[in-house]
Amino acid sequence: MMLAEAGTRNQAGERRRGRSAWWRGWRTPRVQELRMSVIEWRAESIRDPVERLRFLRNTVDAGTIAPVPAVRPARRDGRRMVHAGMAVAALLTVVAFMASPTSSTSLGTYPAHFLMPPPAPQPAGEEAQKVWQVEVTRDYETYSNGLRIEKAYETSGNPRVPYPAYRRRDPQLASAEMRSGPAGIVYHTTESHMAPFEPEENGQMQRIGASVLDFVRRNHCYHYLVDRFGRVFRVVAEGDIANHAGLSIWADEKYAYVNLNGSFLGVSFETETRRGEDNPEISPAQIHSARILTDMLRYKYAIPAGNCVTHAQVSVNPGNMRIGYHTDWAGNFPFTEIGLGDNYEEPLASVFAFGFDYDGIFVQSTGRRLWQGLRASDEQVTLQASVLGMPVPAYKRILRQRYEKILAATRAATQKGENNNEE
Amino acid sequence: MKNDKTAGGALGLDVGTSRICVAREDGGAYKFRTELNAFVTIPYSKMTENVLKREGIPHTVQDGELIVHGNESEKFADLLNVDIRRTMTAGLLSPSEPESLSMMRQILGNMVGEENSPRKLCFTVPAPPVGAQDSLTYHEATIRQILTDLGYEVRSVNEGLAVIYSELESSNYTGIGVSLGGGLCNVCMAYLSVPVLSFSIPRAGDYIDLSAASVTGERANRIRLVKEESFHLNGFFSDKVHQVLGVYYDEMIRTLVQAMREAFAGAKTLPKLGRPIPLVLSGGTTLPSGFRERFEKILKEENLPVPVSEVRLASEPLHGSAKGALIAALTDL
Repeated sequence: MMLAEAGTRNQAGERRRGRSAWWRGWRTPRVQELRMSVIEWRAESIRDPVERLRFLRNTVDAGTIAPVPAVRPARRDGRRMVHAGMAVAALLTVVAFMASPTSSTSLGTYPAHFLMPPPAPQPAGEEAQKVWQVEVTRDYETYSNGLRIEKAYETSGNPRVPYPAYRRRDPQLASAEMRSGPAGIVYHTTESHMAPFEPEENGQMQRIGASVLDFVRRNHCYHYLVDRFGRVFRVVAEGDIANHAGLSIWADEKYAYVNLNGSFLGVSFETETRRGEDNPEISPAQIHSARILTDMLRYKYAIPAGNCVTHAQVSVNPGNMRIGYHTDWAGNFPFTEIGLGDNYEEPLASVFAFGFDYDGIFVQSTGRRLWQGLRASDEQVTLQASVLGMPVPAYKRILRQRYEKILAATRAATQKGENNNEE
Repeated sequence: MKNDKTAGGALGLDVGTSRICVAREDGGAYKFRTELNAFVTIPYSKMTENVLKREGIPHTVQDGELIVHGNESEKFADLLNVDIRRTMTAGLLSPSEPESLSMMRQILGNMVGEENSPRKLCFTVPAPPVGAQDSLTYHEATIRQILTDLGYEVRSVNEGLAVIYSELESSNYTGIGVSLGGGLCNVCMAYLSVPVLSFSIPRAGDYIDLSAASVTGERANRIRLVKEESFHLNGFFSDKVHQVLGVYYDEMIRTLVQAMREAFAGAKTLPKLGRPIPLVLSGGTTLPSGFRERFEKILKEENLPVPVSEVRLASEPLHGSAKGALIAALTDL
């Protein structure tokens, strides 16, 4: 769709007048040139040739190419385009646009292909090894990789119903595939009281552990809980919904997921969150158990390593449009030790696809690792906005309108299965 | 004969005058299969048919004749001392060949197979020759219909653009793609993957073969074999056939470059290029050693109005268009 066409489709007279100043600016040759430079710069960051071509074909069309009246011979005076410099110039253009009058924006009046950046390759992690069930009894299950799942606290909840996975190929995210198997894992902490991890505290630790298990069982909090001694308890059956990540967002290379209770499994560690760079209080036994549990689940459901994420990465608060409503495992989850890539580097779909913000408190609680993902998310938003020639706040307003639609669609699609226990 | 039905995923198809090449992705690598886009008829006998069946040679029985198509047709033509027949001429379905449609259906069916579930396929179409914009319609619609009947979700891509998709990822699909095949030379200029100018000229490999054959008195088939097996463009020719081939190669290249110069100079709107762009050559006619150097020399002499940073050969000249068509199909998935 052409930008000029998009402009004429805006039927609201006031809004149209309000946008006209920057819209006219958008069509100047210099701005078009800058825009093409940004698009080119973006394309170069996409390694996969098919994805790169798809991005370009979705972003550039014949009418957006700046024409020149006549072809000029090659210039050999060193005035070649310097990509980085042009990108900076493009960002300056955004700043210039911010001074231009804008009015409310609406989803659908802008070229759709600017609303979703092309996916970047996710951290691969280790390949999921073949794991199979060896023994099943009334009390436990054992698996070929040494995993033992205790069933003493197992309960059932509402069965998982088909949930929408929104195709990233459709930049509007308007097209969804209904899926039924778990698409990923969200890691949590119980935030429960922690007795010292010493032999003389065994009794106290066991009492607290039992109490925690009883609580999470009654509230259907997670699918699995790894206690302080590394024992793995199944709490909610894998085929049922646990109330572990109600308002939440994640995206992999192909799909975006909203409200992960229905689409992701919840695995919690009996521990409490530490801020920033502090090491978590987690035992080697817990890490080992989490690793073999993750291996089993990844193999069983073909879950990509990039979809194994922490609650802090996915949690959102639509009330104030900020991420990080929950901050468990905000900056120190042992991804590598569990056999996963460092997903903290991943840009957050809540930010780049739906326009969520974050505050200083969240940044303080995350530390350097998650901050990398936040920075990548911000860069994507800035670039998308600059390609469109819009101020970032206006662009975010468009993304947020989309979130409202997607959230409503997700709730409608999963209404039967959800018990409305959103956090 | 095995077709690519079982491979899964999208297919790219280069439907050329001389050869048809199908590309597919297998374990992250591109795989190709090429068949001669030709056939030969031989008198029917039960014994001959049994031999063809036993050897797995693709053939059909029609009106009391056996029709051998694809790669094997060349051997039989040699054996029977006749010229192979072509389904296409000058890049399009041959209007003078009564069997062109049925043979094209046979060859394509043999190569890609029938598909029961929706599967993407992208095939190449030539750019219209200058001044003949409508001549492609029948050709493209017919190929599309054949492939749709086989059960594919079909789209087409300009042949020169396919070369760009195949070879110019490093320049963000900005540059000039030239496909020099049997019937046509196809030229396309793209900016950030968007085609901004394309055309074809009806002088390519077949023109060289026929012209050289008429001068030397040899059969066109024989000229083609010489061209593919021993010809080179280094300026020293060992015999008359090589010398004649050199003359017609030069003429074809110069005609092509002049057409490019005129097309670019006459284009009303071209994108503003911030830097010189690459030009990539693909197709069977580029195979003789020294071709790239000769092309580059003539290009410099003709002073193309578009700044060119380099002239290079496709990594696999015989498969470039098919690979580009596959990438177009994958992009559309």
